[in-house]
Amino acid sequence: MMYNDEVMDRYQNPVKNGKMERYDIKIDEASTTCGDKIVLYLKIDGGRITDMSWQGEGCILSIVSTDLFCESAVNKEISAIKEQDELAFVENFPIKISPGRINCVMLPLKAFKRGTKEK
Amino acid sequence: MTNTCGKKEDFPIFKKKVNGKDIVYLDSTATTQKPKQVLDAIISYYEGANANVHRSVYKLADEATELYENSRTNVSDFIGSKSNEVVFTRNTTESLNLLSFTIGESLKKGDHILITSMEHHSNILPWMRLEEKGVKLDYVGFDEKGHLDIGDLKSKLKKETKIVSITHQSNVLGTINPIEEIGKMAKENDSIFIIDAAQSVPHMPFRMREQYDFVAFSGHKMLGPMGIGVLYGKYHLLEEMSPFNRGGEMIRNVDFHSVIFEDPPIKFEAGTPNVEGAVGLSAAIDYLKTIGMENVRSHEKNLTSVTLRSLEDLKNVTYYGPTDVEERGGVIAFNVRDVSNLKKNLEGRNVIVDHLYHSHDIATFLDDKNVYVRSGHHCAEPLMRTLGVSGTARASFYVYNGIDDVQAFVNSLSELNDVQ
Repeated sequence: MMYNDEVMDRYQNPVKNGKMERYDIKIDEASTTCGDKIVLYLKIDGGRITDMSWQGEGCILSIVSTDLFCESAVNKEISAIKEQDELAFVENFPIKISPGRINCVMLPLKAFKRGTKEK
Repeated sequence: MTNTCGKKEDFPIFKKKVNGKDIVYLDSTATTQKPKQVLDAIISYYEGANANVHRSVYKLADEATELYENSRTNVSDFIGSKSNEVVFTRNTTESLNLLSFTIGESLKKGDHILITSMEHHSNILPWMRLEEKGVKLDYVGFDEKGHLDIGDLKSKLKKETKIVSITHQSNVLGTINPIEEIGKMAKENDSIFIIDAAQSVPHMPFRMREQYDFVAFSGHKMLGPMGIGVLYGKYHLLEEMSPFNRGGEMIRNVDFHSVIFEDPPIKFEAGTPNVEGAVGLSAAIDYLKTIGMENVRSHEKNLTSVTLRSLEDLKNVTYYGPTDVEERGGVIAFNVRDVSNLKKNLEGRNVIVDHLYHSHDIATFLDDKNVYVRSGHHCAEPLMRTLGVSGTARASFYVYNGIDDVQAFVNSLSELNDVQ
């Protein structure tokens, strides 16, 4: 119906959704344009991410993007994630994104960059 | 035959096909499409009469000035005012900012401004800036059906209330507020009464009343071009006010350290004005007058009524604002409940989710069917907070929409609604 099966399946069955009880970094990101509220929880070992999860509300694209982002971040260096090219990040999303919805997909990367500025 | 009020053929954009199919434009609350008559008027102005206005003495400049001033008269006739009470601005937002930076500046610490919780940001932020100097901003609430709470308004109308500024028709709820009655209450209280008429002047007969001090609206929301707006102001009030912008055109005499300003409305039109905009707006008014504003209103009432009754049949769709079309305009904000198994999956893990589809997802879903609706907070975040939602989708009608557009919208929405 809406978007493709991969996106809808991920929306309905997110794998990294849930509050983390013991975390090293918590990033609150309230999207300014549409009221989405996403919190990222990170567990780190030095500069490496050992686990990441999210909690919050948002549109299907921001939720799916956030869940994929958390999953793919595990065992990666914080610096490597921050250096990701934003265009490539949007292009790697499972479906083609119209210009008006790029912010939805960019939500987790933007939050991550802002929340780990000092790390 | 499709029953459209202004003929769809008059609007060149509807020749456009997307993915080989017609577009269904339901976002006229944001901006309207333009009929050929308006586009022709703009082109013919540039081809036959372009010169700067109010300045030079040659014939072409006279012609341009005459066209510009005739446009002003057409606007004033349309709303029932005098032509020297019509100031051309860029849009409603600029009209309201003009008031904030002139009469707003004369307010003192402890003075109140009364607005409502259903205002567009353009009728909130120009007043909120005055809180920095100790002015208090009060909001009148509304009930669960979207009716303004007149009792609340009465209780908040105090002797300190210097300005009452209210939307005539909400751009989200569609609610048409009783401005004649509110205006009388404001005047009995000696408050300045301002109307944000961005959503009313384009959609219904509008006549000036003694109790209206200022009225703001935009050309692009009534078939005119973007970048032209109107501020109606009572002449003696405009006369007392300081200018908003200063520069070319708005002066009678300038010396090294002194200036005598022009009379209103020119006093408020510093710099080269948007002549093509004024000419285009005037052509738009001519177009609307041909249809008749009573007919515009009844056409929209009919489309809205059919839509609301259809939405009421979709069990997962909620719409906001009055259910009676006599009390509302042709703008319908709505949400769709997500009945997929997300809820079940996540509730098992004590995760809180919003069970409504996000409005952007609804709009993207409809976009895929060439049905264009707006989504988000519609520049009315305090209103969204009052409704308890982060956003809504919104469909709105104008003269070129027909029952076929309503059907395309409702059919598409029912596909989303049916998903289990």
